Amino acid sequence: MHIAIIGNSAAGLTAARTIRKIKPSAGITVISDESGPAYARCLIPEILAGVRDIPGIGYATQQFYQDYDINLRSGIKVSSINAVNHKLKLEGGQVIKYDRLLVATGASPVQPGWPGSDLPSVFTLRTASQAVMIRKMAIDCASAVVEGGGLVSLKAAYALKKRGVKDVAVIVRSPHILMKQLDRDSAGLVENDLTSVGIKFYYGTGLAAAIQGPRGELQSVELEDGRQLPAGLVVIGKGVQPNSELIRNAGGKINRGILVNEYLETSLPGIYAAGDCIEVTDSVTGAQVVSGLWTLAVEQGRIAGCNLAGQARKYPPPLTRLNSAQFGSVPFVSVGDVQGGDELAVYQGAGVYRKLCFRDNRLTGFIMAGLVDRAGVYTSLVKQAKKLSAPLKDRLINGKVTGADILPILTRQGGIQ
Amino acid sequence: MKEVLINAERCLGCRSCEIACAVAHSDSKNLLGAVGETDIPIKRIFVHQAGKRNIALSCRHCEEAPCIDACIAGAMHRTADGLVDNTGGTGECSGCWMCVMVCPYGVIRSEIDRRLALKCDRKCMDESAEPACVRACPTRALKFVVVDEFSRDRRQRFLDAIGNESV
Ligand SMILES: Cc1cc2nc3c(=O)[nH]c(=O)nc-3n(C[C@H](O)[C@H](O)[C@H](O)COP(=O)(O)OP(=O)(O)OC[C@H]3O[C@@H](n4cnc5c(N)ncnc54)[C@H](O)[C@@H]3O)c2cc1C
Repeated sequence: MHIAIIGNSAAGLTAARTIRKIKPSAGITVISDESGPAYARCLIPEILAGVRDIPGIGYATQQFYQDYDINLRSGIKVSSINAVNHKLKLEGGQVIKYDRLLVATGASPVQPGWPGSDLPSVFTLRTASQAVMIRKMAIDCASAVVEGGGLVSLKAAYALKKRGVKDVAVIVRSPHILMKQLDRDSAGLVENDLTSVGIKFYYGTGLAAAIQGPRGELQSVELEDGRQLPAGLVVIGKGVQPNSELIRNAGGKINRGILVNEYLETSLPGIYAAGDCIEVTDSVTGAQVVSGLWTLAVEQGRIAGCNLAGQARKYPPPLTRLNSAQFGSVPFVSVGDVQGGDELAVYQGAGVYRKLCFRDNRLTGFIMAGLVDRAGVYTSLVKQAKKLSAPLKDRLINGKVTGADILPILTRQGGIQ
Repeated sequence: MKEVLINAERCLGCRSCEIACAVAHSDSKNLLGAVGETDIPIKRIFVHQAGKRNIALSCRHCEEAPCIDACIAGAMHRTADGLVDNTGGTGECSGCWMCVMVCPYGVIRSEIDRRLALKCDRKCMDESAEPACVRACPTRALKFVVVDEFSRDRRQRFLDAIGNESV
């Protein structure tokens, strides 16, 4: 049995590890167009900032692939899948036969389209090699502009500042940052955390064009409202789109991302998919959305690995909103649906913010900023979607809830070991 | 593998386990020394009240640990001994709080200033091969035992019972 995996990151690597544990005899080949062993993609801002190098954010060592007898083919792209003959074609023409296949190709940044956005000093941030390039360029830059108010953009802006870029401006089309994760008040706390290190924000507009200097180099950018900002480099964070072309071209079904059944199998028999490249159903809202989280990619990689190795395992609809981060001194967590609900409970204290969203007496989402202790107890309740008793709801609202309050629910779910 | 079990009927809520845990994670390893240390030693077990009972909770070292899945740094991992730990792995904890966000027991601490998640690491064992919290428990409410199916059942029944009171 030979199992091939395209993608050597959260989903692909976890699947490979899982398969090896279940099937010691399986042949496993992992193919990636990025070079080297897997790294922690979410930490590439630390490379940009110059505080870590690529080995410093390693997610697996070279030794790991030997220990797990995984044939890693890195630095080479898969150009097509022949689902009928069970063959992969690599760029350069080599063909690899497989019995089962996992597509864990992740996602790619949405590319900007304004004039000048193809200049070499306009970047997106998704790979370690991009982070290295930005780091090199940033050292000679007095100013940088970041487009987008999402997590990746803000991490990039914070890292550029750490790198020593004097003027860092973030252009946000929405009324506040982190629209998907936070509300105005909590976003304000996080924004203060970023402005306190000197990052500037420009709201309600977007980038319109690059303005080049005498040698064709990027000098500044023009905003849609006509204002101009100096910029030695630009980082664009306008979201990502799933890498689903391989499956599309092989005749598989695609919607927003690759469509999979509850065993994470695509519409092409024997071909599974996991991670940022797939579409899933959000457990709280029921909406079809792209997966898009490291946590989910690992979880799906494990489930897909079980199925690929012949141990049937279902993947229940996941919670697709699960974010936590800290830039300077303000930690924050955002889980579930933080916009909907029929009842809100907000707590605001000195530097601390907590908002709970209920629907039908069930916790459907929450935001915590400034203090994130025991956030997991809340997350667990969002996942369980259980009707809350009045005392438990009180403890949630006043922030006193602990794991002990929900132990029985956890154990009934098989959570205690 | 041995686990720390709690018998809530015996727990008086005296917090000896919390103190012992903090001391075992101090530099000096004794109470007098520990209270004087500049980096205040930090406990990784928590005595909570649920209904009328006291329950001491620390990391369960779950089989499919959500904190390992969630760790974006590759720091949280399973050790060769089967424990869940965020030190000594491939990556280094960066204080992103993903583990804190997903631990259903709420037993991973966020040390905001140190940008470090702290949890039970069992680096508190002595020659008796028992964790500090268990050694310190005056009523033997905490036990360090191999869990068989029988006691799993008993524990379940007990937990169901408190469930009816509190949830
Ligand atoms: C800066 C940044 C910060 C982030 N922070 C967080 C966070 O805090 N929390 C969180 O949950 N998520 C975060 N994410 C998102 C997270 O990184 C992704 O959800 C996760 O990496 C998805 O894993 P994956 O295995 O599905 O895909 P990816 O990590 O995208 O890996 C897919 C791999 O497949 C390769 N590949 C694609 N096509 C081919 C082909 N045809 N042939 C060969 N190889 C191919 C790609 O090059 C890539 O190496 C962040 C992302 C970035 C960029």
